[in-house]
Amino acid sequence: MSWQVHLPALLLAVPLLGAFLAPLTALGGKGLRNTWFVLVSAAFTMIAFLLWTRVGSTGTAIYVMGGQGWNLALPSGMSIPVRILMEIDAFSAFMVLLSAVAALAGAVFSIAYMDRFSGLEKFVALYFLMVTGMFGMEITGDFFNFFVFLEISSVASFGLVAFWRDRGEALEAAFKYMLVSTLGALMVLVAVAFLYSKYNVVNMATLGKVIEWGIVEKTALVLFLTALAMKCGAVPMHMWMPDAYAEAPAGVTCALIAVSQASLYGLFRVTYTIFGAFMGSPVIPWVIIVLGVLSMFIGVSMAVIQKEVGRLIAYHSVSQVGYMLLGFGVGLLALSDARAMAEYGFTALKGGVYHIVNYTMYKGLLFLSAGALYYATGCRNLNDMGGLGRKMPKTMALFMIAAAAIAGLPPFNGFVSKLFLYESTFAVHPILAVFAMVTSVLTLASFVKIFQTAFLGPALQKFEGVREVPGTMLLGMSVLGVAILALSLFPTWSVNHLVEPAAKALVDQASYIGAVFSASVTGGGL
Amino acid sequence: MWDQILTGFGYWDVYAWISFFLVAGGMVYLIRSLGRKDYKQGSDQDEIFFGSNPVPEDGEDLKVPASSAYWGYTQALKPFYDVLVGFHTGVATDYAGWYILVTALVALLILL
Repeated sequence: MSWQVHLPALLLAVPLLGAFLAPLTALGGKGLRNTWFVLVSAAFTMIAFLLWTRVGSTGTAIYVMGGQGWNLALPSGMSIPVRILMEIDAFSAFMVLLSAVAALAGAVFSIAYMDRFSGLEKFVALYFLMVTGMFGMEITGDFFNFFVFLEISSVASFGLVAFWRDRGEALEAAFKYMLVSTLGALMVLVAVAFLYSKYNVVNMATLGKVIEWGIVEKTALVLFLTALAMKCGAVPMHMWMPDAYAEAPAGVTCALIAVSQASLYGLFRVTYTIFGAFMGSPVIPWVIIVLGVLSMFIGVSMAVIQKEVGRLIAYHSVSQVGYMLLGFGVGLLALSDARAMAEYGFTALKGGVYHIVNYTMYKGLLFLSAGALYYATGCRNLNDMGGLGRKMPKTMALFMIAAAAIAGLPPFNGFVSKLFLYESTFAVHPILAVFAMVTSVLTLASFVKIFQTAFLGPALQKFEGVREVPGTMLLGMSVLGVAILALSLFPTWSVNHLVEPAAKALVDQASYIGAVFSASVTGGGL
Repeated sequence: MWDQILTGFGYWDVYAWISFFLVAGGMVYLIRSLGRKDYKQGSDQDEIFFGSNPVPEDGEDLKVPASSAYWGYTQALKPFYDVLVGFHTGVATDYAGWYILVTALVALLILL
């Protein structure tokens, strides 16, 4: 038996250990704390990579905690899984890998970025707790643990958003985030309670197998859908997002993007895997499509008029989440119709999955670039910036890569996912593709605005002393910059190895359900 | 790895685009190299033309601020932006209110 069978447990244990030991590392000084921060981040990224490759080669992984054996999902005499069960299919593994890369980049960037502040052992502890919660949401096989991990990541996020507690805006942003997030988490818990009250089970695969389409199930679906859509920033429930993203330290925002993607993962796990059989009715897919279109258009419209660089990029997060909702909504619309799925549904789904990768990489890099500008100049307002390209050429180059990618300029990766979305959504209704294209044009306009006002223009006397940011910050940004270039230069590899397996896993409800029950009989699993 | 990506409706070929940019870059370089070589750095030829006025020493007096960007666009869509900005109140109870409202609307659509 290979030690790699325990990768799902290690994925949670390593960042959790990192969190609990972080306060102790403060005893060894700044060097030990920073080394711990990077080592643990590198370790969970490596684990995520190994898990992704293993799931790619051996199929869906099952891991049971607290049972007689790690692979015994259904002990003898039991008809339903009752233990804490992790289930990692290609979609989960894909999400875990992306989240780990974003969290690693955020951690490396934060070393120099946060160096001027005190209480960093608490920062590191909260960061790792947030990462643990995020991974847990992406690999758990039961709804109650999904709620627990959602709360772990949320509570740690509140603390990180409010980390600069001398700023009233940061405290206000954290409070607002906490208010809506707690309300959403409560609704998730009520939804889980609804399902548990009827089926006496919280395991996702079992629910996917036995679920019916009654009032209880519909109510649970509504609660899941709106809570998770709110957590990923869908309009009109997005307003917490610009506040929180703009006020959190840049490295945290980079990881927060992955946390919001974990909620998006939950939304699609619920709609595709649990309720996929009932998507013959177009109501739910169209609700997701409408939320997507609203998010794309309103998010980008608000971004164009922003003057604060962090808020501008944060409104773009709302807009980019709209693209993903649109793609997954169109995929869901075609889920019960094999012909529609073959014609445009799977292309839309691939576009949505591809956009998750792209978004996580370029949005993370954009937030880190905004953080670099703040670090070097102390300014957040674009009106106060100018001529920084001369002083910070490396930051400018990395910003340009991310801005070109998010605007969907060929030959960057953002164009490929948008191409999938334009063409597939056009088959459903041309107006959807028109909204997506107009959003892309406005996206380009707003990033030209940042580029022109922050990096171009005449040199300002007040920035004479400004220098390029430290090497570790550039390294954190480069992790994402290199990922964007690799995704851009090797799109076929990205689609074949990253995107398609994840998209196929998401529509293959039977395989997700079957993995738990076959592991029970054969003692299989990972 | 080097193949085209088929979208079902068309295809994407990154290397065709890279070739295009290389050719375009080469043409730009060629046109630039045809420029005059007797340009004198540090002379009056170097001076910025600022409407015949002296050029301010600090770039702050020259630059176009971000709030002036897309002025025409935002003025033309002022009614739209008035509504949009008014909708973003920044009030925490409104945030929760929109969430409840959307939940109620989706519940009506699905349950009825």
